[in-house]
Amino acid sequence: MENDKKVVLEIKDLHVQYNTDDATVRAVNGLNLTLHEGEKLGLVGETGAGKTTLALSILKLLPEKVGEITKGSITYKGEDLVTASEGHMLKLRGHSISMIFQDPMTSLNPTMSVGDQVLEVINLHFPELSSAEKTKKVDEMFNMVGIPASRKGEFPHQFSGGMKQRIVIAMALIAEPELLLADEPTTALDVTIQAQILELMRKLKEEFNSAVVLITHDLGVVAEFCDTVSVIYSGMVVEHGTVEQIFEGDGNHPYTKGLIHCIPSLTDTSKRLKPIPGRMPDPRNLPQGCCFADRCPNCMEVCKQRLPEPYEKDGHMILCHLYDEKEAKNA
Amino acid sequence: MPEDKNKPIIEAINLCKYFKTPKGQLHAVEDVSFSLMPGKTLGVVGESGCGKSTLGRTILRLQPATSGEVRYEGENILNYNRKQMNRIHQNMQMIFQDPYSSLDPRMSIRALITEPLEVLGTKKNMSAAEEKEKVSEIMDMCGLPKYYNNLYPHELDGGMRQRVGLARAMILDPKFIVCDEPVSALDVSIQAQILNLLLDLQDRNGLSYMFITHDLAVVKYISDEIMVMYMGQVVELAESDELFAHPMHPYTRALLNSIPTIDLSRRNRERITIRGEVSSPINPAPGCRFAPRCPYATEACRQNQCLKQVSPGHFAACTEGFK
Amino acid sequence: MARKKKTKKPLSEYSAGELILFRFRKNKLAMIGVGMFIFVTLMILIAPLIRPYSMVVKQDIVHRLNKPSAEHIFGTDELGRDLLARILYGGRISLFCSLAIIGIAFVTGAIIGGTAGFFGGKVDTILMRVVDMLMSVPSALLAMAIITALGNGVWKLVLALSIGQIARFARMVRSSVLTLRNREYIEAAKCFGSSSWRIIMKHILPNGIGPIIVSATLTLGSVILSISSMGYLGLGVASPTPEWGTIISENKVNIQYYPYLGIIPGICIMLTVMSVNFIGDGLRDAFDPKSKK
Repeated sequence: MENDKKVVLEIKDLHVQYNTDDATVRAVNGLNLTLHEGEKLGLVGETGAGKTTLALSILKLLPEKVGEITKGSITYKGEDLVTASEGHMLKLRGHSISMIFQDPMTSLNPTMSVGDQVLEVINLHFPELSSAEKTKKVDEMFNMVGIPASRKGEFPHQFSGGMKQRIVIAMALIAEPELLLADEPTTALDVTIQAQILELMRKLKEEFNSAVVLITHDLGVVAEFCDTVSVIYSGMVVEHGTVEQIFEGDGNHPYTKGLIHCIPSLTDTSKRLKPIPGRMPDPRNLPQGCCFADRCPNCMEVCKQRLPEPYEKDGHMILCHLYDEKEAKNA
Repeated sequence: MPEDKNKPIIEAINLCKYFKTPKGQLHAVEDVSFSLMPGKTLGVVGESGCGKSTLGRTILRLQPATSGEVRYEGENILNYNRKQMNRIHQNMQMIFQDPYSSLDPRMSIRALITEPLEVLGTKKNMSAAEEKEKVSEIMDMCGLPKYYNNLYPHELDGGMRQRVGLARAMILDPKFIVCDEPVSALDVSIQAQILNLLLDLQDRNGLSYMFITHDLAVVKYISDEIMVMYMGQVVELAESDELFAHPMHPYTRALLNSIPTIDLSRRNRERITIRGEVSSPINPAPGCRFAPRCPYATEACRQNQCLKQVSPGHFAACTEGFK
Repeated sequence: MARKKKTKKPLSEYSAGELILFRFRKNKLAMIGVGMFIFVTLMILIAPLIRPYSMVVKQDIVHRLNKPSAEHIFGTDELGRDLLARILYGGRISLFCSLAIIGIAFVTGAIIGGTAGFFGGKVDTILMRVVDMLMSVPSALLAMAIITALGNGVWKLVLALSIGQIARFARMVRSSVLTLRNREYIEAAKCFGSSSWRIIMKHILPNGIGPIIVSATLTLGSVILSISSMGYLGLGVASPTPEWGTIISENKVNIQYYPYLGIIPGICIMLTVMSVNFIGDGLRDAFDPKSKK
């Protein structure tokens, strides 16, 4: 069903590294990702998995001189972003690709009224409008995200975290981007506010039909909001599939299974959790084989030697030797 | 002193904590009462600014209470002097939310773990060998490898730091620990490791916990009893399973409904989104503080609110949410 | 103490103090600083072996304004006095007075600022208003007023100049204490029943002291210069008693044609300031376990 939709973003074999004084940090290692029009993709992973690096690479906002794309391509609607000029990226950012950051407290300028900040973005994208039209547009944006337009003269500190995130969302959506990158947009918020923001994003997504990449560590948020999920570990997508395949299927990557077991369930009466032992490998010193091998309950000899080939079935991709072997046996 | 299993280890009685602010008095904790039995866990949930952390700090006397009592094994500790408090510090400890800022960056792991012994003067009565043994026992218990001894906090990751925080608390053999969001800053796989460790320590040493968190799934997993707070007031208090099965208060119900879970069948549930946002309880009006956001609010809600027992062991300030 | 333990043992067995020393000794710049500082101090201390004190004031008009030569390594000034002797003996005042001034200002400032920052409230308000009052008077003017009131003398000069510096240090310490006071680890320490004194000494001081030490070492240069400007005004140390700043100012008319008169004492001041500054930088890094060097 997805296949007949246009591909908005395609990332192939992306490698990103940070060159620091004493080490090379390999944050993204051969990551593949395909995003279709109107799709809501959840990008799940733990701290240090390379989620934010990926988002920054798409926007080409990696820290200068330190962050470097060493290999691979990022294609946005047929054009390559890795080689795109800064001038071209300026046009894309905010117009076609927008980003919502995790911390609404720091993504707004504390010395400007929120109305002026929204107006500034409008000036940038719609310089042709008359000032009356612009003001009207500001009011529209405020109403759209559920803030009374009468509050536009107020300053960021007068708003709560959830309200600020609404304003940030409004600013991100002004140009009706085709691709929205949301980096942990609800992590800093309380659950009831998180529910409001997710509801708002769901509603707005219907309205604008943007493709959304939701970056989060919270599997629950993904299950609530997304259509497809990519589980990322040590800078690689280890599993990709629809929410059903990931959360209700049985053939999962051991890491995904482990993650799911780590979440206390609301319905089960308490059993002990089964945590994943150990921690993610140091990105300065990655193992030769599968990065998850050390923590994996099903680790085999081959896992320590080489990376598995992706195994794919009905759009459900798993990067694990277990499934290779299975296939081999079946054949 | 033999421990009495049926006597609460910690009780709070009508505990209030107000702060003076330029805008007026902030009622951070309003008339909170509970009792906690030895070896049990009381979960305290609520959104930011509901007073749950202030409650934990007031109980440990990190902040002076405005009124009410905190009883440790039946004795009110709020007017204890310094010397008496030293005994209390041995028995009541705290672990903090942020494993990055709760450890002094200039101290080695070993120095951090032995600091409590030094402060309370226990170290003087120990030989170097005894001390070393005690430290390695505690480190072992908390899953810290020995070679961490001389590392510094910045060389460890979040989960390991939280273990150090736990080891510092455990070295005094406390009976009661206030856990202030100890896993919120951690990744899920690490979070599960720490939660299991907390439960292991509880089984082993008969600890009691007051577990403060905003994460309902975590609180359900670890707690025997759960107290839901909203803007300084307790709105519901019940046994863990009971609370999740029969939430009474409209706020509890909305809160439970809002949790995102990986259960896909909940995707199409009827969503209860509550309007508006939490404000801060500065010079609050009498009555239920949730009323301005509550879909069931009536004139009666502006009267005094108090917890009523709705079924044995289940207290709620309002039962409108139960339909 | 650690120097005796030449036998190699694993890094993990060193105590915190030894580690600090270890990190400090691995810092090349800091060791250069220490070397330079020891050299300067040594030269000043063994001055009587090189030149008798009498040469400091002995005028020899025939040999006035001699360029550096074998007899007068640093040359002579317009009164024919040996520059080397003047610099060696002048260093006593320049170096030791400036260190004393910084030391006094640092300790007093830290106590005032630390108390104000840690306890806050009324204590803070009262102490900081006093500090504001001190700050509102230009420090040179303040020092002049104090010396005029107390009379001339090296120790009175030290006292007068250090009072002017206290306000700076108090402000700096206070602001660093304020940011540290609300850290969670301070609260954690309170959980174990730590006293305020212990918290200040064990947690706040080691964490806040780095930038203050560096700023103290940077102040050294300006203190040496203010000693000399006091001397120029005839307060504190006055000609013919030598002192580095004074040496420069008394030779300033001849510097244009006899540049060594300015350059040599200038280099002395620069070397001292630089060495102390390197040491300060090294200390800051050594106290910070995050610097791996």
